[in-house]
Amino acid sequence: MNDLDQLKELLFGAEKEALDSISRRVERREVRAADVADILPEAIHQSHAKDDELVEALTLPVGECVQRAIQEDPETYGNALYPVIGPAIRKSIMHTLRNFSQQINEAVEHSISPTGLKWRWQASRAGVPFGEYVLQKTMQYRIEQAYLISRENGLLVGHVHHEASKIKDSDAVSAMFTAIQDFVKESFSPDRTGRLESADMGEFTLWAVHGPHALLVCVIRGVPPKGLRADLSAILERIHFRYGDAIREYKGDTSSVPDVDVELERCLRYEARRETSGDRKKSRIPIITLLLLLAVAVFLGYRSWSHAQQLDRLDAALAKTPGIHVTDIDRDGDEFVVRGLRDPLAIPVAEIAESVDIPAARVNAAMQPFQSLQPEIIEARAARLFGRPQSVSFKVSAASLHVSGDAPWIWRQQLRSRFGLLAGVSELDMSSLTTSDRLSFEARAKQLTGARFHFENGTIFSPGSEDRLVKHAESLAALLADAATVGYSVAVLLQGSADLTGDPALNAVLVRQRAEAAAAVLRLHGVEPVDILQAPAGDSQSRPQSDMDRRYVQVDLQLSSLTDP
Amino acid sequence: MTSITSKVCIVGDFAVGKTSVAERFVNNHFSESYLTTVGVKIDTKEIEVPELGISHKLVIWDIAGSERFGHTEFAYLRGASGYIYVVDGTRASTLRSAMNLQDQINDKLGGAASVVLVNKKDLASDWEVSESNVEALQSRFSQVFTTSAKTGDEVERAFEKLARQILENDMRAD
Repeated sequence: MNDLDQLKELLFGAEKEALDSISRRVERREVRAADVADILPEAIHQSHAKDDELVEALTLPVGECVQRAIQEDPETYGNALYPVIGPAIRKSIMHTLRNFSQQINEAVEHSISPTGLKWRWQASRAGVPFGEYVLQKTMQYRIEQAYLISRENGLLVGHVHHEASKIKDSDAVSAMFTAIQDFVKESFSPDRTGRLESADMGEFTLWAVHGPHALLVCVIRGVPPKGLRADLSAILERIHFRYGDAIREYKGDTSSVPDVDVELERCLRYEARRETSGDRKKSRIPIITLLLLLAVAVFLGYRSWSHAQQLDRLDAALAKTPGIHVTDIDRDGDEFVVRGLRDPLAIPVAEIAESVDIPAARVNAAMQPFQSLQPEIIEARAARLFGRPQSVSFKVSAASLHVSGDAPWIWRQQLRSRFGLLAGVSELDMSSLTTSDRLSFEARAKQLTGARFHFENGTIFSPGSEDRLVKHAESLAALLADAATVGYSVAVLLQGSADLTGDPALNAVLVRQRAEAAAAVLRLHGVEPVDILQAPAGDSQSRPQSDMDRRYVQVDLQLSSLTDP
Repeated sequence: MTSITSKVCIVGDFAVGKTSVAERFVNNHFSESYLTTVGVKIDTKEIEVPELGISHKLVIWDIAGSERFGHTEFAYLRGASGYIYVVDGTRASTLRSAMNLQDQINDKLGGAASVVLVNKKDLASDWEVSESNVEALQSRFSQVFTTSAKTGDEVERAFEKLARQILENDMRAD
């Protein structure tokens, strides 16, 4: 060490040591890091308090750090964010749905009204979606209650409400809101600076506006617009301006804040534009009237159309009804007036109306009687005039009345004789009409003719023969009784016969006596023979016969038709 | 009649009968079942003071039982005009809790009207609080009441006494 060095040592020894120490600290990395670590938090605090430079400097690198960390370990970040994301999403969805449903309601309500059309035009000019524009224009809400609460002790300074609102113990509500506020602040705001500013409860929203000494809590029905909060803040500021000291010192004595409720009443003025009493009602009146008129017009139009339809149906039904000729049909209010001609045999007008669903009471028919020559009416008239056996039918065509079926012969005769009474037809065709009673009579007569009744010698009837003759006489009597009803007259002829033994002259007498004996039996039963004949001689020779067979009386019938068949 | 509202807080250790005392005073009702209070329960009751022409409404904050208060409880206590300290006569340890709470309140919020209720007088066979204990309480609290929320004994009088103290304090301050 030379003299100069010794001199330096003497003069700057202490400083040199300090410089060496500083040099060593600067050169050693771990020492530098420890030094920076010591002062870093404080440096950050100071820098952050001074200005935003630190934030700006850190924004980019911190953002990249977070991004990289999430990319490398997404699960950890997912777990960390899980408790936050769920409620946030739910709240966002609920808020969106609430607004959306209200927008839809408003949009639907206003889309077809004159106001709606006007707003639609204005919305398109402003470039705003219609739903959003409607929401801005209507904003359905109303401040139902307003509480002014001391921030110091939670005591209620003032409370106003709409008459219709249901009010609980307002002091308890005030205290409880303060307690909840304190609880939320203590639980969820680490630095205790957070404030509960709004809460949703069903259709109500609670808004809290905070002042230095008091809290203004408004219970709002519906969705309040954002701008309302500024208005409420202005009210609270005004209250503070007027009652600031009194509220700060408030100990529950309401006389220390006179007329504070008058100031609070201003909150209740805020309500939805659509609910501002008279305007809405006034604007509704013409719409309601218009709707009523429209409804009446629609009703009358429908009724008129319905009546016209009924009139057409009635007219058509009357036109196709035989025996009715309508000269005039019209409507008189709810009633249908029909004038014209009606055959008494035609269906009544009221019945025709009911067949086309028009109540008979609504039809006033002024019909004059006449005789219709329409085929259906002629047929009906024929049935009424002549009566009609069950199986007989009438058909009118080409001025002829065609009668078909089966009828008693006597009815047929009556029809023929009375046909001239029936108007509208000139010919009677009965070619298809049978008279089965006449045919039946002819068959019975045929069965009864040619019956023989034998005798012993002389005029004594053979055994059983007289009994048969008695029965035969009864049948003949019945036949004769029916003859007139089927247009026949019946002649009963007796023809006697004798055997070949004995004197022919005597036999001839005998034949006569036998015929007389038979005639006597017949007369007893009301049958009068018209002639008694002797059998021709040739007859007895025609085939071999015993004597007994030749001794008989034969009863024959001769039918004569009283009229043409 | 002038209307005055005051905030009153009921404090004390767990299960000393704070809610029962409040229920007896407000609704004149007692329930044998025990339901622990979470956070705070609030009731109100109006007391007429005819001689002063005052209708005095007490907003009663029944605060969850605790040996010591945290931030949340202090938030509840803020601005109270009076305190009701409740002690369980069958558990001498609850006296100490009441005293601790009083110390905390006095330190943090300052003095206010207060009464102490040594509750559960009806459970005489299990009684633990001695005369000396009561004397200790009397040295710290101006008014000590031995009450029973079950029978209603002394409860109303204790509240009325506190209400009167609050009014006197307020008038003194004015």
